[in-house]
Amino acid sequence: MPELPPALSGFWVTFRTQFQKVNTEQYPEQKDKFPPKPRFHGRHQLNRWADGLEKCVGCELCAWACPADAIYVQGADNSEAQRFSPGERYGRVYQINYLRCIFCGLCIEACPTRALTMTHEYELADNGREKVIFEKQDLLAPLREGMVPPPHAMVAGMDSHDYYMGKVTGATEQQREEVQHEEAQREEARRQDQGAAQ
Amino acid sequence: MTATSNDKDTAQAAAEVEMVTGVIDGHEVTVPKGTVIIRAAELTGVDIPRFCAPPLLDPVAACRACLIEVEGMPKPQPSCAVELGDGMVVHTQLTSEVAAKAQAGVMEFLLINHPLDCPVCDKGGECPLQNQAMTTGNPETRYTLQKLTFPKPINISTEILLDRERCVMCQRCTRFADEIAGDPFIELVQRGAHQQIGIGEEPFDSYFSGNTIQICPVGALTSADYRFRARPFDLVSVPTTCEHCASGCSLRTDYRHDAVMRRQAWDDPEVNEEWNCDKGRFAFPYLSLDRLSGPLVREDGELRPASWPEALRLAADGLGRARGRAAVLTGGRLTMEDAYAYARFARTALATDNIDMRARAIGPDEAGFLASQVAGTCGPTYAQLAAAPAVLLVAFEPEEESPIVFLRLRKAVRQHGQQVVTVAPYPSHGSTKLSATLVPAVPGAEAHSLAALPADVRDLLQQPGSVILVGERAATAPGALRAAADLADQTGAHLGWIPRRAGERGAVDTGCLPGLLPGGRPLTDPAARREVASAWGVAADDLPTSAGLDLPAVVAAIAADVATRRSAAEQGDEAPANTIDALLVAGVEASDVPHSDALLRALQDVPFLVSLETRPSEVTDFADVVLPVSVVTEKEGTFVDWEGRRRPFARSFPLATTFPDAEVLALLADYLDLDAAPRDVPALRAEIDSLGAWGGERPWPGAAGATDTPNPGPGEAVLASWRLLLDRGIMQEGEPYLAGTRQPSVARVSAATAAGVGVPDGERLSVSTDHGTIALPVEITEMPDGIVWLPMNSPESRVTTTLRATPGDTVRLGRE
Amino acid sequence: MPLTPVITAHWDDPHSYTLDSYRRHGGYTALAQALKTDPDEVIATVKESGLRGRGGAGFPTGLKWSFVPQNDGRPHYLVVNGDESEPGACKDIPIMLANPHALIEGIVITCWAIRASHAFIYIRGEVPMPIRRMQKSVAEARAAGYLGKNILGSGLDLEIVVHGGAGAYICGEETALLDSLEGRRGQPRLKPPFPAVAGLYASPTVVNNVETISSVPYIIKNGVSWYREMGTEKSPGFKVWAVSGHVTRPGIYEAPLGITMGELLDYAGGIRDGRDVKFWLPGGSSVPMLTADHLDTPMTYEAIVDAGSMLGTGTPMLFDETTSVVKAITRWLEFYRHESCGKCTPCREGTYWITGTLEKFQEGRGSQDEIEDLVEICNQIMGRSFCALGDAAATPYAPSLALFRSEWEAALTQPADEAFDPAATMIIPSMSGVGA
Repeated sequence: MPELPPALSGFWVTFRTQFQKVNTEQYPEQKDKFPPKPRFHGRHQLNRWADGLEKCVGCELCAWACPADAIYVQGADNSEAQRFSPGERYGRVYQINYLRCIFCGLCIEACPTRALTMTHEYELADNGREKVIFEKQDLLAPLREGMVPPPHAMVAGMDSHDYYMGKVTGATEQQREEVQHEEAQREEARRQDQGAAQ
Repeated sequence: MTATSNDKDTAQAAAEVEMVTGVIDGHEVTVPKGTVIIRAAELTGVDIPRFCAPPLLDPVAACRACLIEVEGMPKPQPSCAVELGDGMVVHTQLTSEVAAKAQAGVMEFLLINHPLDCPVCDKGGECPLQNQAMTTGNPETRYTLQKLTFPKPINISTEILLDRERCVMCQRCTRFADEIAGDPFIELVQRGAHQQIGIGEEPFDSYFSGNTIQICPVGALTSADYRFRARPFDLVSVPTTCEHCASGCSLRTDYRHDAVMRRQAWDDPEVNEEWNCDKGRFAFPYLSLDRLSGPLVREDGELRPASWPEALRLAADGLGRARGRAAVLTGGRLTMEDAYAYARFARTALATDNIDMRARAIGPDEAGFLASQVAGTCGPTYAQLAAAPAVLLVAFEPEEESPIVFLRLRKAVRQHGQQVVTVAPYPSHGSTKLSATLVPAVPGAEAHSLAALPADVRDLLQQPGSVILVGERAATAPGALRAAADLADQTGAHLGWIPRRAGERGAVDTGCLPGLLPGGRPLTDPAARREVASAWGVAADDLPTSAGLDLPAVVAAIAADVATRRSAAEQGDEAPANTIDALLVAGVEASDVPHSDALLRALQDVPFLVSLETRPSEVTDFADVVLPVSVVTEKEGTFVDWEGRRRPFARSFPLATTFPDAEVLALLADYLDLDAAPRDVPALRAEIDSLGAWGGERPWPGAAGATDTPNPGPGEAVLASWRLLLDRGIMQEGEPYLAGTRQPSVARVSAATAAGVGVPDGERLSVSTDHGTIALPVEITEMPDGIVWLPMNSPESRVTTTLRATPGDTVRLGRE
Repeated sequence: MPLTPVITAHWDDPHSYTLDSYRRHGGYTALAQALKTDPDEVIATVKESGLRGRGGAGFPTGLKWSFVPQNDGRPHYLVVNGDESEPGACKDIPIMLANPHALIEGIVITCWAIRASHAFIYIRGEVPMPIRRMQKSVAEARAAGYLGKNILGSGLDLEIVVHGGAGAYICGEETALLDSLEGRRGQPRLKPPFPAVAGLYASPTVVNNVETISSVPYIIKNGVSWYREMGTEKSPGFKVWAVSGHVTRPGIYEAPLGITMGELLDYAGGIRDGRDVKFWLPGGSSVPMLTADHLDTPMTYEAIVDAGSMLGTGTPMLFDETTSVVKAITRWLEFYRHESCGKCTPCREGTYWITGTLEKFQEGRGSQDEIEDLVEICNQIMGRSFCALGDAAATPYAPSLALFRSEWEAALTQPADEAFDPAATMIIPSMSGVGA
């Protein structure tokens, strides 16, 4: 290696690197190539029971556990007419502020019903403060096979303990009918409203 | 270590009582004889677990959580019930394995049938059972059988919910209801593990039911109102004072962000002990109900939002023009500091003595009575009340009108057989619970009853320490206040005046009455005027020299002005100057005033009306300028309770768009280019304190004597009426669960009176005047004939607006 | 030791319960005698006699009476506890049925002694017969002038109220009985104050068992030395023994204290069908069990305690070897669980827990850990509960485990009904309906 003048030695580094293997990750074009590790702490998710009722009971223990004060919860009473979770109480308001969240997972440990878990989703940046405060509808797990959206009654003959014991495996026909009936009524009301508006 | 504190009085009192010395965990402790071990241990810093033993209830020793070992006793003893004896050697869980084991065993038992629903339980986070389980309980249970379950909460009243699974049968609630409130509407039912709290056929509609929630050591009793709304760790707690009545309860206001979540009784042994009433506890939603968020000004007959500077400019201009011809009506709900600011503003900025805080029925005697007997004085106190051998109640229903006074009287009746005598038309439920002797009185003619007081009652009152309590309603009975004051002079009994509203006593002390300057100074006394003028930095000559108009006189003067203007206009003359050109009104509810129609007309007719209000009202409807002011949670201040005791409270949370009344008045003074009045509470308090109470003469000029007892004809009756604790008052709005516990509205008459108009018990009786009719189911009551009692402001019975009558008026009865 | 029929002496009369029959056998003479004596002397006599309470605790009766403050200006009350509900106890009800006037005479004498003018007889609500009989007898005595105003010219006024309970074992506890009598929920009261100071309606009150009060007229009539000839120094006098269980002739045998169970068993014709005693209880289900080893123990308050049990109500129950210990104890605990008043935690929750666990054992589903845990749980109740009901419930298990551990261990897998034929243990097999 000849002794280059100092002014040129910097260019030598550039020149040499041109012929080395490229390390650039093609994100976001190729993001599937790099899945997060199994225990990665991503966006939170509010889980559901097998019939679609929410697991969250609005107990606020997650908010209590949160060292960053990122979680805001307000509970409310399940009524016979409007049931969102088994048992007495559900989370009416559920917000996580991802500007504050440090993804430590203490909230997950605190959750007594396994309602709150973390997904692998990490694309949480956005261009507005309010856009990164996730509301309950942003956090709720999608309805999977066999689930119907609350509010609806518990599986007939079951109570909240049976849900915790895992005895509920999916929505029953009765629950489906109830939800369809409610939906039909809402649709009817909407149509009447539109009729009245016209 | 001893139980005596540094306080001199306490030390002296302690010297008189017999003391015993025992040893707890190796530490000697000296306590008054009769102190139970659990309290003595507290003095040594040893906390013995307990569930059934709050200090103010009689011991029951049911929960067994507090078992300790006493040397020489074969079995562990309940420390909540065993009194410390001289030379007794006690070992608590800290030094005795037996005690620790016994307590752990009880803990284990308590948990076998207790549900694991702490996450959804309202008590979770502030639960004695939870705390105890976390500190001393076993992490694992040995109990593997099925827990007993009950259907989840049941309503025992519209407000109180009972979750029987969580109950640990400590009986605090049933004992409270029985011993303290005297409303044993809840009781244990069933037995063994199936034992539960239950109600009879009637719901738990006690005025004090909310206390059971607070003393419940588990989450078995919760309120419908607070259910699932927050967790204890969300809440910021501020010590406050209740604004609902003159009892002066210390409260703890718990808020989350900018909303009050709940209010609880704060322990104040001098005043409310550990209790408060359901109104004070639950009636707070009104604080955030349809609040005025900014100033309004009237333009083309319509109110429109305006900026603070614009509204203040307008108000100041209008009031400035009316200087000397204005009047100030302040209601009875202001803090002492705000009331003082009004008193000062009226006398200085408006150069008038036309100021009256009494938005209610008033009498000719009252101003003189308040000025000479009440303003700037102190006492009798709760402690004197509790110690009194006898108490005479005049036109005052403690349970309805000042519930903590009621609780103190009941405690005295229960503990040392205090004799309560009530001058009233009939023995009310509250009087019955006080085992009160009734001196029957026709409403309006209480003075006669006082003059003809039975000799044995007089003898009772002559015992040293006796107390006479006069309610604000006595003002409407001619001569009654004078008779009560005379009786106090003759018997040596203490005389106390108990208004209904929290702000009245403070307004009296700070001079919100015509003819009365702060500290009980008579306006007509030049020396008093000089003291006040120098404190206010004005010339003594600038203060009004003759007493101004009270509320009815202001209303009458405005009506007279209108008549004069009209007749002048008819005759084409130039109208003479009005007596009242502007009104400054704060916190007045028109329907509280007996002839509210006249008041409303005056509000409409007065040339310029400024209203300082928290929410739209009948007054703001007519106002030219509306300035929004803060509610109690948004400001600091002081309520003066009926004793004359100051009850300062702190601000819970601010609301950016409003100011306290005193601050608005200071701003107005600025706009009027007057010397700045103090605007913050510490400065106001300092000025009130520097003025102090008047040391000179307090004349009570000749007042109206007793009138003749009304003599209703056939089909007529004399109206008796008072406000029930829970009624349709605007400060109870927005709380349907509390409203559900109201007493049903009934009319009360004697059997003969009911028979006279042919209305059987339970049927509807109509009570009418020329203005309207109230029809209510009749409840035959043991009372003098020719009297009908109606609730004053309950649903279906609004005496002031429907009948436009005051107690003592004659009304017509009939069958509906 | 011979039988000494005193209270039961004339029960073979065709109408022993009538006033006539009672008077024929010397009834109400003690009353006349007592009313001529100073009340304090009556108390002294009873004190000297050494009569001890027959309700279970064995507290000296005269001493109890002397606790009543005198000249305090308050009314005094006598309450007779006839709420006999202890499993196995059946002595007060027969006394009230067969010899009601002895009780009434005893009441009048007692009221004279303690200066009471109101007495109450609180009788177990499930047994209407003695209630009716006592009501009739009280009316009879009243008509004869033994009750009412100025009894026998002594100046004593006395009324007796016969009150039926509502069927709660706890109301046999004296303070719960007083609450019940006042019309409240029957739950034991905090002591002190003791009933002698503030009992019924917060006035000085003596609460005594039916048998105790029924013994009083005989002591007055026959004298202290006659009484003390029977029994022992510390447990003098006669006692009505109600022997029940697997004996040939169950029934009531009146004999002095100090008689042995073996002697009583001989009077009762031995264990049925020539079988052997497996275990026996000296006085109701609330006392620890004893075995055949203790048949020679004198039945006195002291000796039975020394043997590891308690005399209790003095109503021995004997069980032969057809009996499942597991099932017997489960049955008793089911009773205590049902009867626990619920006031205090150890008894309320403890009886619920123990009984639930015992029921598992009875069904052959116990576990080794639970065998030991139960001892511990019983210890958590014993001495920790508000009144003696909790102690009673915690009593049976531990002695049974000490004596019959193998049976408990068998119950880990074998249901009690398999180990012991339910039909064989029935006293009246035709009524069993089980296993037959």
